[in-house]
Amino acid sequence: MATLELDSITKTFQDGDEEIVAVDDVSLSIDDGEFLVVVGPSGCGKSTTLRMVAGLETITAGTLSIDDRVVNHVKSQNRDIAMVFQSYALYPHMSVRQNMSFGLEESTDLPDDEINRMVGETGEMLGISPLLDRKPSDLSGGQQQRVALGRAIVRDPEVFLMDEPLSNLDAKLRAEMRTELQRLQNDLGVTTVYVTHDQTEAMTMGDRIAILDGGELQQVATPLECYHEPSNRFVASFLGEPSMNFFDVTLEGDRLVGDVFEYPIDEGIRSDLGDATDLVLGIRPEAVQLVDAAGDHEFETTVDVVEPMGDENTVYLHFDPDVEPENASTLVATIDGFNRVSEDDTVIARIPPDAIHLFDRSTGEALHNRSMENAADQIDL
Amino acid sequence: MLDFYRRLHRTIRSSSGDDDEVRADGGVVSDGSAADPPAEPDRDLTARLKASLDRRFGSDFMESSVFWLPPFLLMGLFVYGAVIWNLLISLTDYQRFENAPDYSNLDFEMYTRALADSGFIDAAVNTLVLLIAFTAGTLAVGLVLAILIDRGIRFENSFRTIYLLPMSLSFVVTAQFWLWIYNYNNGIANNLIGTFGLGPVSWLGNQDIVLYAVIFALMWQFSGYAMVVYLAGLRAIPTEHYEAAQVDGASALKMYWRVIIPQLKGATISAAVVLMVFGMKAFDFLYSLSGGYRPPNGADILATKMVREAYANLNWAYGSAIAIVLFGMALSVIGPYLVYEYRRDNL
Amino acid sequence: MSDTEPRTDGGTTTRTTRLRRTLDRMTVEDVGLYVVLALAAAFYLVPIESGLVTSFKTGTAIIETAPFAPPGPSGLTFEKWRTAIDVLLRGMGNSLLYAVPATVISAFVGSITAYGLTIPTWNKSYKALVLMLIIAGIFIPYQAVLVPLTQFWSQWAQLDQVLSFVWALGIDEDYVGIIELVITHVAYGIPICTLLFRTYYKTMSDEMIESARLDGATLRRVYRRIVLPLSGPMFAVVLIYQFTQIWNDLLFTLVIVSTESSPAAPVVLILAGLGSSLEGQDFALRMAGAFFAALPTLAVYIFFGEEFAEGVAA
Repeated sequence: MATLELDSITKTFQDGDEEIVAVDDVSLSIDDGEFLVVVGPSGCGKSTTLRMVAGLETITAGTLSIDDRVVNHVKSQNRDIAMVFQSYALYPHMSVRQNMSFGLEESTDLPDDEINRMVGETGEMLGISPLLDRKPSDLSGGQQQRVALGRAIVRDPEVFLMDEPLSNLDAKLRAEMRTELQRLQNDLGVTTVYVTHDQTEAMTMGDRIAILDGGELQQVATPLECYHEPSNRFVASFLGEPSMNFFDVTLEGDRLVGDVFEYPIDEGIRSDLGDATDLVLGIRPEAVQLVDAAGDHEFETTVDVVEPMGDENTVYLHFDPDVEPENASTLVATIDGFNRVSEDDTVIARIPPDAIHLFDRSTGEALHNRSMENAADQIDL
Repeated sequence: MLDFYRRLHRTIRSSSGDDDEVRADGGVVSDGSAADPPAEPDRDLTARLKASLDRRFGSDFMESSVFWLPPFLLMGLFVYGAVIWNLLISLTDYQRFENAPDYSNLDFEMYTRALADSGFIDAAVNTLVLLIAFTAGTLAVGLVLAILIDRGIRFENSFRTIYLLPMSLSFVVTAQFWLWIYNYNNGIANNLIGTFGLGPVSWLGNQDIVLYAVIFALMWQFSGYAMVVYLAGLRAIPTEHYEAAQVDGASALKMYWRVIIPQLKGATISAAVVLMVFGMKAFDFLYSLSGGYRPPNGADILATKMVREAYANLNWAYGSAIAIVLFGMALSVIGPYLVYEYRRDNL
Repeated sequence: MSDTEPRTDGGTTTRTTRLRRTLDRMTVEDVGLYVVLALAAAFYLVPIESGLVTSFKTGTAIIETAPFAPPGPSGLTFEKWRTAIDVLLRGMGNSLLYAVPATVISAFVGSITAYGLTIPTWNKSYKALVLMLIIAGIFIPYQAVLVPLTQFWSQWAQLDQVLSFVWALGIDEDYVGIIELVITHVAYGIPICTLLFRTYYKTMSDEMIESARLDGATLRRVYRRIVLPLSGPMFAVVLIYQFTQIWNDLLFTLVIVSTESSPAAPVVLILAGLGSSLEGQDFALRMAGAFFAALPTLAVYIFFGEEFAEGVAA
């Protein structure tokens, strides 16, 4: 297997006279056998990054190494990588068997019966043996997906690259394949880079996730770290559904003053903030609690909308009942499905001080995150 | 089960391991990496040259040149090499049975001779008239046919096949048909206008008429082509546009004029360019009409005059000069067209 | 109810009912549309039809019957066709001799060129420059290259001397013209064939090609194993279009083979002189000759009309 090292990788495109920076100074190092998920909104440069690793795009600046060998100018076919594309990119005129043999025929000198045997075994492993003599056009989307996967696996490459491989599948099949892919990657232990825009895939599949926005790397960490200790406001808002609540606040003494509420903070948090006074307070919907008694961190709110999800309810709360709903500051809370609230109810929402995040308003940088230990405690409760 | 994976793994590993070695040695050169061991200086140099070319032109430049470069050179030699050679010949006095042009004394004598030649001026005017009238007429007929056919009619394929049929025929063949149609005594043309009490007209003998008779015949042959191009253009317009115009209460005529036809600009331009080129190649038709280098009086165009001067009168240099004028005319149409296509990123 | 009745009755009734129902639904406007379309069809067919009937007429029938009317039993003759076939048959053979190889070669060369200019990645603006030069080659009036072409084949290339061993076998030296025609048609056919294949290759999935490259295939292998096997439909279009163009071309045959009396004369060359070489204007013979010479392209058109339409529309 192999390690993969991206060192200050940059990609610029020329569009007329304009220079567009698609990937800006991205450094990543991926361990041998690691499953790294690259995630971000569309146009964030994640696919371009993957294509540079594959050798399908030239690298404008920076170095790319596989197993400490610099491969910037090594052609795709000599990088010993396999890629699974979103469209599967199966060869339509070849049978499944031929599709899977193609790579071995082109890149190795193995005898035909050896290739055949390996294709057969890989087919068995993926449960597509009965399909080996069919053409791709006779297969369902899920089956094509497996063939595309098998085509990559049979080559046993140093690195697997996957470009949104599950996004053409329906929701149920996607969930199944998600688990299966993880299992396969575990068994095979091949270093894998997986690109997706789907945060569920990012959270559930990767050993680590790398979050990109606007061509710049925002954070690389384990999924839980990214979720609970986001490095900036973008990461905080990108992960989690419904998204984190944000309120612009100003630090005045030991209080955070916002448009609709004031929020006292203790010295521990205060010391994290340094000189910054223009801040954004963030709180995850599931951290918001509906309580009975009012206090410093409790606020009276009006229920605007309730979205029942079954096991839980998503509740949209307004701070000020006199303001028109579309102009009011909204606090989204996720509460237990059995906790019945209805529209126009007045409820008291608690924003627990140990669960808040504070960001610098101008840079977006995270100044204070909830601690992972506290988060874990809360889950225990 | 897991044991099976491991076994699979080992076999693949060992085999691809061998391959790595093979590649490590051959791969570097084709990768153009400068880290090649300098065992053979020649190879190193070519590798470095290749690498720098690839860097300048793109990663596949050298490898892909095998495919397009030889055909490109062959074509370039026959097209652009020949045009330049032709230009050179047009500056000499090459004529008659001289074996080769004398390139030592170049001047523009042939071009001044052309300007003084009333036959040349007539031919140039005829060429312009033919190009403009033929292109405009053919486009108009083709557009009308395309709109009629696009109205969801039955037997659409049969109609389309019939309209396009003349295009599959050689100019030499169609010339025979039209020679017969324009026949003074028994031709259909005179037969037809005879039923209205007109004629007979000497279609190919009358100097004032013959050019338009030829244009009409060419329109017959190529309006099917214009129809096919327009049909493709019409099919690309979403049905919503028709429906929106109908909802807005536009009459059919107004809808086509204001909504549909403006969207056919691209189709019109590409069809017009191709038709003009066909028009310039009308030589075959005129040659076959008369069975010789001299077309009917009044229908001489630059294409026929060029061939006649060169191959019948053996005025090679003069013919070449006329050819250059014709080439210039073609270029003035194609040049802007190619730039237009390039701008639209259509190349 | 009326639907089930005819079905038990039989096919003819069904058809007439359906026709009647269609007619019921036709408005005046529709009728007008079909009349116009039919008139246009007549306009395109009449020159061809009149040529066909005339080719079977005797000299007197030509004068006595209308040009588009079929000959009466007394005016019917196959003599003209017999003569035309006699005169043109060798020309047909000669035409096939260069049209077929030139068509096949130019299609393959066009496919390879288009592949090299479409699928591999290299600088887009240089690609566009090469493409512009190639596409401009489609539109160049051949008059602009004729004199150099004559010079090249007669003074420079001297193919007839290179091939002297062939003439020693008893093949007429004029057949050098056939080889020259093949090369000439291939060279001038490259632009259009390249353009046609390029429009097709542009629609191929990028990911599929990239996948093949990642699978370790070189550009040559990608062409051989992926692109070429998928090019079938476009080959049909290009082969048909090129065959029609090459078969129908007169200008190159005129300057390269030059005389219709040459044993290597192609059919168009003989046909162009057919009328004028005889006393008076024998239209029946001309028409018979025209039809005979057009048979291959007509056959191609009738059997592969769709591909032909696609070829001209591109």
